[in-house]
Amino acid sequence: MKASLALLATTTLALLLTGCATSVNTVSRADPQATPNYVPDQRVITDATLGRKVAIVSVNETKVSGNLLKIQVTLLNKSSKPQAFTYKFDWIAQDGMEFSGPTGGWKQIQLEGKEERAVSAIATSATAVDFKLKLREN
Amino acid sequence: MKRTLALTAAALALLATGCATKNDAKYVDSQGPNTIVSLDRINIQDWNNAADKLVASLLASGVLERAPELPAVMAVSRIRNNTQQQVDTDSLTKKIRIALNQTGKVVTTTVLGPDGKQEDAMAADVGAMNNFMAGEKQKTTLPYYTLSGKLLEDRVKSGSTNQITYTFQLSLTTVKNGLAVWEDETLITKQGQRSSVGW
Repeated sequence: MKASLALLATTTLALLLTGCATSVNTVSRADPQATPNYVPDQRVITDATLGRKVAIVSVNETKVSGNLLKIQVTLLNKSSKPQAFTYKFDWIAQDGMEFSGPTGGWKQIQLEGKEERAVSAIATSATAVDFKLKLREN
Repeated sequence: MKRTLALTAAALALLATGCATKNDAKYVDSQGPNTIVSLDRINIQDWNNAADKLVASLLASGVLERAPELPAVMAVSRIRNNTQQQVDTDSLTKKIRIALNQTGKVVTTTVLGPDGKQEDAMAADVGAMNNFMAGEKQKTTLPYYTLSGKLLEDRVKSGSTNQITYTFQLSLTTVKNGLAVWEDETLITKQGQRSSVGW
């Protein structure tokens, strides 16, 4: 009887522990060699709940294929639980006109607990000089 | 009392709005987050996501700038469909063509295709006629690159949960030497018991 109870307790505890262990541990170089070109950003938060769940860690840019703007935004799931979000990049030309690429649209990303991950997009037109990233909770 | 009345009115208004639109046909943004997700089909958002990732990979690779002349001429070769569905592979390739065309680095020929099938037979005919009338030999701009690929699917089931993975594979080959200078694949996995709306 005692043995059965002990086994049941151990199994339950193991299941509980496994259930909780959803956050991500990471390791990286202590002295990073990468030299990202960070972009100062401004943020508009209309969903405070989403704002508490996901943080924008950094925004950096580069040019690919000669003259195409590539933006990378690093997101952090502040919660210990996995969270699914959708995001969308829009592009802005020199004259302020906003446009979306032919393969634009909302994309899904699922971040594990406390996971930090970058989302990126490349403007398919060389006229893009600015960007806007929209984030939405699922 | 007034507050209770106001809350009741608000709740009724919400309910009425919900009832009015629940089953009625409506427009949704094709690139928005409210499109239907099927477990047994490649949805529009899947084509879109696959094309987006593959275009980004191709542009970031830098191979397009290695063509001797820009925009480089590309022909779309065979895209094999090894899924159980009947799909039009243009759902993928057209998006890629449009994106590459917008970059100004690639133009696609429509008068050359796999097995001699021309996408625009009239353009080929008129071009040939023009050359004939001018007393010139037929000149068709040959592609520098060809784009080929394959669609795959993998289905598994555990209990009542179905999982399906679609793999989109593409290769960009330099025609003059037959070497694939860029290759990539992207996977889209969907899991669930039934189809739903949204992500």
